[in-house]
Amino acid sequence: MRVQLASPSPASSVRQRLGAAACLLLAGSMPAAAQTQLAPGWQLETTGLFYGEQLRAKVVEPTGRLTRQFANGRALSLGLAVDAITGASPTGGLPTGQVQTTTSSSGRSSTTTADAVPTHPFQDLRYAADLGWVEPLGSLVSASTSAHFSQEKDYASIGGGLKTSVDVLNRLVTLTAGAGYNRDRVFPTGGTAVGLAPDDTPRIPGDNPKEVRTGLVGISRVVSRRWLLGATGSQTRETGYLTDPYKIISLTDPETQLPVAQVNEKRPSERLRDDVLASSVYHFEQDIFYMNYRYYWDDWGVRSHTLDMKVRHDLSSESWVQPHVRLYAQSPASFFVFGLTQGRPLPEFASADERLGPLRTATFGATYGFRVPGHRGEFTLRGEYMYQWLVGRPPTAIASSTNTPAGDDSGGGGQHLGTNIGTILIGYTVPF
Amino acid sequence: MASPCEVLVDTDDEPTARAALDAARGEALRIEHKFSRYRSDNVIDRINHSAGKPVEVDEELAGLLDYAATCHEISGGRFDITSGVLRRVWTFDGREHTPDPAALAAALALVGWTRVSWRDRTLTLPAGMEVDLGGLGKEYAVDRAATRIAEVTASAFLVNFGGDLFASHLRRAERPWLIGVENPATPASGHLGRLQLARGALATSGDARRFVLVRGRRLGHILDPRTGWPVEGAPRSVTVMAATCTEAGTLATLAILRGGDAARFLEEQGVQHWLLE
Repeated sequence: MRVQLASPSPASSVRQRLGAAACLLLAGSMPAAAQTQLAPGWQLETTGLFYGEQLRAKVVEPTGRLTRQFANGRALSLGLAVDAITGASPTGGLPTGQVQTTTSSSGRSSTTTADAVPTHPFQDLRYAADLGWVEPLGSLVSASTSAHFSQEKDYASIGGGLKTSVDVLNRLVTLTAGAGYNRDRVFPTGGTAVGLAPDDTPRIPGDNPKEVRTGLVGISRVVSRRWLLGATGSQTRETGYLTDPYKIISLTDPETQLPVAQVNEKRPSERLRDDVLASSVYHFEQDIFYMNYRYYWDDWGVRSHTLDMKVRHDLSSESWVQPHVRLYAQSPASFFVFGLTQGRPLPEFASADERLGPLRTATFGATYGFRVPGHRGEFTLRGEYMYQWLVGRPPTAIASSTNTPAGDDSGGGGQHLGTNIGTILIGYTVPF
Repeated sequence: MASPCEVLVDTDDEPTARAALDAARGEALRIEHKFSRYRSDNVIDRINHSAGKPVEVDEELAGLLDYAATCHEISGGRFDITSGVLRRVWTFDGREHTPDPAALAAALALVGWTRVSWRDRTLTLPAGMEVDLGGLGKEYAVDRAATRIAEVTASAFLVNFGGDLFASHLRRAERPWLIGVENPATPASGHLGRLQLARGALATSGDARRFVLVRGRRLGHILDPRTGWPVEGAPRSVTVMAATCTEAGTLATLAILRGGDAARFLEEQGVQHWLLE
């Protein structure tokens, strides 16, 4: 008797055809099992987020989400989150060479000196809840609806959304379409500021409504056994009160360039936002590489690019690590200003909020996930460091002060007064 | 399935192991009830007694028939799910038999996938013909059972239905599954070889248990549908490794159907295999 052991050589066409035929057979959707069903089950996820901006806001946000899977692929999910935000937020005012006082809307005041960006302290507590339902319609189509609600001291939001997806071309391609609607109310503490009026102008009491409508379409395609590509586009229309009620703009004296007065900011009451997102998931032998690129533009003149990359690497069958890099570049809104000159006519709209400015951020982080042996739940620990800065910030008043030794660049033009931000997130997911 | 079936799950959690076993058993029973030719209450029985009338089939059976049609084409007509009627002519009990030529000719007239009409999810068999999915059923059940198990647990597992098996992935601490390849001459003892399987499927085809003697010559039980006789010069046993059990089983069967060319066929396909002549 002859026994042979052979080693592989390049694949030939019979094997390829057979492999493809077997793939097609086994990819077909399965009829519902007569004896056993996909066991309906619950899943609980909880996270705790700790976020700190250097010298500014600190956020602590615990969240919980409970998901229940039913037979036939239906699912119900309920999420709850509480944000406790304390700290200080930039007012939009310019740094000065002198002691500058700011008052906060809660009546307290703070002082800042020299080239520090003026901020005012705030404290807020936000509750949010959302409910979602997923319903498969046949074996190729699925629909999901969601509703959400959030409430804080000066802002309330309620909204809902609908999304449906269809698998076509033997489940190689998925098409998605969705729409959402949100109705918000803004009721700032102390009343609503009058746009572009001096910041000590009496405020108007009452609510300010805001509506947000969103539509999105997406397509994702299985390119090969290892590679999934996707693209989505969305458009959002916001109408109503879109101004930030606590932000101001400094008025500078035309000669000394020192800030001498402050006015409230003012933004248009409509905003049309668009974005396109391309995403790729590639499965190597062991690792998975995720990459997203997003281009955003709106009719306020803001444009931005985001590049986000992650690699998931299994350390063992019980643990994994996922390093992450994100780069963001934004060009400012057409009405963004660092400050306004006193005596000149005021523009129709203006804001010094750095979130509408020439912003750059770079984020580096990593997530570590692990299971405790014998236990069903999975823990995740994520740490991220973000550096955020504005480009083209004008020189501060220090540079024009005679006290500064010649050649000292500390107040030079175009400096990047960057902010360091750290985030730690702890999560736990368990099915039961 | 007419063979011992087992499921191995690499976990310390008993409820998980039970859930996996229930999932696999449920799927195996479902497939057997639906596709067995020995039952009188399923779609296969309806087809085999359809007396020439068209029968519409569901998505799952359509998938299997498409697959069988592809195999028929790839193998040049050697793989044929209508060849089951030939079993009436042969008795594979290890003893001396000679088939009756008239009976063999009559049976051959009822064999041939090319005589069947299969389109638009409708199958029409000429009266007297039968389809038999026995050559595909066990391997298909392994793959389906594996999918069901993966729905209820992420632990590594191995499904083995009578020697046709599938392993999902490496066990904990990166350890592979250890598989022994049985020696058909001495099934109770002595392995032909041992292999380490990380993930994938193994299927074995052969005549270890069923054969016939014709004028002193030993012939296996796998019949060539073009002649009605057992395949000449086929190896006693062929084991093939592939990504899915369906693929592995089909490659093993196609190899045996090549008779003396089995070894060369498997070399050309570039699959890992073990042969016993």
